[in-house]
Amino acid sequence: MSAIIVNNLAKHFELSKKAKKGRKGPNKPQITMDTIKAVDDVSFEVKRGEIFGFLGPNGAGKTTTIRMMTGVLRPTKGRIEIFGLDAWKNQIVVKQIIGNVPEMSNVYFSFSGWQNMMLIGELYGVTKKERNERAKDLLKKFGLYEKRDLKTKKYSKGMKQRLLLCMALMTNPKILFLDEPTSGLDVQSAKIIKQLIRDYNKNGMTIFLTTHDMDVANELCDRIAIINRGKIISLDTPENLKKLTQDYQAIDLEFINGVNKRGFKDLSNVKEIQETQEGVHLIVEDVHESICEIIDYIRQNNFKIKHLSSHRPKLEDAFLKIIERGGKSG
Amino acid sequence: MPSSKSLKEVVKVAEEITEISEKKFQSVLTQLKRSFVIMKKDLKIYYNKPPVIIQGIIFPVILFIALTVGRSVEPIYMISGLMAMIIFLSSTSIGPIVFPWETMRKTFERLITCPISIKTILLGSVWSTFIYGLIFSSLPLIFGAIFLSAELTINILIVLLGMIVAGLAFACFSLILSVPSIDSPGNTMVLTVLIKFPLVFMSPMFMPISLSPVAYISPITYFLDIVNVGLGDVSAFGVFGVLIDLGVLVCFGFVFLILAFLLHGKTLERRFRG
Repeated sequence: MSAIIVNNLAKHFELSKKAKKGRKGPNKPQITMDTIKAVDDVSFEVKRGEIFGFLGPNGAGKTTTIRMMTGVLRPTKGRIEIFGLDAWKNQIVVKQIIGNVPEMSNVYFSFSGWQNMMLIGELYGVTKKERNERAKDLLKKFGLYEKRDLKTKKYSKGMKQRLLLCMALMTNPKILFLDEPTSGLDVQSAKIIKQLIRDYNKNGMTIFLTTHDMDVANELCDRIAIINRGKIISLDTPENLKKLTQDYQAIDLEFINGVNKRGFKDLSNVKEIQETQEGVHLIVEDVHESICEIIDYIRQNNFKIKHLSSHRPKLEDAFLKIIERGGKSG
Repeated sequence: MPSSKSLKEVVKVAEEITEISEKKFQSVLTQLKRSFVIMKKDLKIYYNKPPVIIQGIIFPVILFIALTVGRSVEPIYMISGLMAMIIFLSSTSIGPIVFPWETMRKTFERLITCPISIKTILLGSVWSTFIYGLIFSSLPLIFGAIFLSAELTINILIVLLGMIVAGLAFACFSLILSVPSIDSPGNTMVLTVLIKFPLVFMSPMFMPISLSPVAYISPITYFLDIVNVGLGDVSAFGVFGVLIDLGVLVCFGFVFLILAFLLHGKTLERRFRG
C-alpha cells in the first residue's frame, strides 16, 4: 500500500483584477482568462516509509499541493489518496492520521509551549494521561522542556518551529507533512530539525516535505519531485537528478580584486554562469580546456584569484537546468 | 514479492485505518466535544483582547450612561435595558474577530488541519462568545435581585431561558460579521459597529415596549420582552408573548448559524491564497 497517491491533481483559483496585475514572473503559475492554475495536472506516488521532497521555486505550487493533501483546499480536479482514503471525502479521518507543519503557520502566542501541546492533543482526542506523557517526551526530545511554561511569544523562530513540529508529532502520525521546515531558521535549529526528521523516518514514518532549499532536499530526501509553474517537471532520486548534468563540471572562482564577471560568459567552454558574491560559478564541458582558457583570460585581465575549485555539479545545478528546460529532459 | 514483515505492516496499518474510520460513526459527538476545546481556547485567548473589551464591556456601559442619565427610568426597564445591551454587545464581541485574528496571526491553518471541520470551529466560537455574554449580562440581574428586590418580581426561569436562547442567537449572528474580512480584525470591528449599533437603537430600551415597525426588525426587542416578563411586566405580544419571543429568537439564531456555515465554507479558501 502506498502512503500517498496523487492522480491528475489540479487547483485553479479565480483571479481579481488586482491579482492579475501582480502575477508576473518567470516562475509564476500560468494565468488563463480569469483563473490561475496554481497546480496543473500533477500525479505522483509516495511509498510508505519514504522521505519525499517537493522542490520548486517560490510560487511554483508546492504549498497549494500540500494544502490539498492535508484537506485545507479542495482540489479543482483529480484525486488524492492517503493510505487508500480519499483525502477530501474523508477529511477528518485523514487529518487524524497525519501530522502537519504548514509553512505560513504559527503557535498561539498567548499560550505557553505546554498549553499549545495540550490544545493540539485535545483537538486530536488524545487522552489526558497520554497527552501529558507525549508532550513531556517530545518537548524533551526537541529541547523545549525547560521552556515549556514560557509564553510562546518569547520563543525564538527556531523554538517556535520546533514546537510546531512537536505539535504535529503529538499523535504519532503515519505521515508527516512539512512545508518548508527549515526555512529562515538558524543553522543550529535547522540541524536539529533535519536530524529529528531522519530519526522519525528511520522509525517508519512517511515524510512529505516541500522546500526550495536544494541542500535540504539533497540531504534528506529519498526521491524528489521538481515542480515549476504548477507542473511536475521531473521526479527522481537526488543522485539521478544530479546525473542530468553528468556531461558537465562546475568550476567555482573567487577573486581578491573586483572583476568583470560577465566577461567569463564569452569563453568558448563555459556553458552557464552564475555570479556569486566574491566571484563566479561556472558550468563547463571540458575541465582541462576550460581551466586553461580561464587562466589565460585571468592573466590577460590581471585578475587576482583567491580560490579555484572544480567539482561535479550540485543538485542546485540540476534543478536550474531542469527548470530552464521546462522539464523536457527530465 | 513482498516480505512477510512488510505484509504484516500493511495489514497493521489497514487495521488502524479501519478502526479510525469506524470512529466516524461517533463523529458528531466527537466534533461537538472538540468544539468545546475550541471554546476553551477562544475564551482564554480572546477575553482580554482590546476589540472584545471595547465592544463587549465599554460600549454597553457608555451607551447605558448616554441613554439613561437625566431620564426617569423605571427599575424594571433599567435592568432589562442594561441586560439587553450587554448580552447583545458582549455575545457578539468574540465571534467576529476569531477568524480574521487567527488568519492574521497565522494560527488558522494549523487549526484547520486538525481533525475538525469548519463547522466545529464556528460552533466553538458560538459557545465562547455565548458564555462571555452570559457572564456579563448576569451582572445587572444580580444587581437588580440584590438592590431592587422590592420593586421587581423576578421569575428566574424565564429570565435565564431568555438569556440562554438570546445569547446563542446573538452569538450565531456574530459569526456572519467575520465573513467579509479575511485577515483584518480592525475592518471587522468597523463592520460590526455599523451593523450592531442601528439594531441597538431600533430596540425600545429603558422604556415600555411600544412596537413601531422598526422595533420588530431588531432581535433585541424579543429579548427585552422576555426579560420584562421575567421581571414582573406583561408581554407586548399578548398571552403567548414569551413563546413568540423564544420562537423568533430560535429562528433568528438558526438561520444565522446555517448562513454562517455556508458562507464561511465558501470563503475559507480566500484565507489560504497567496
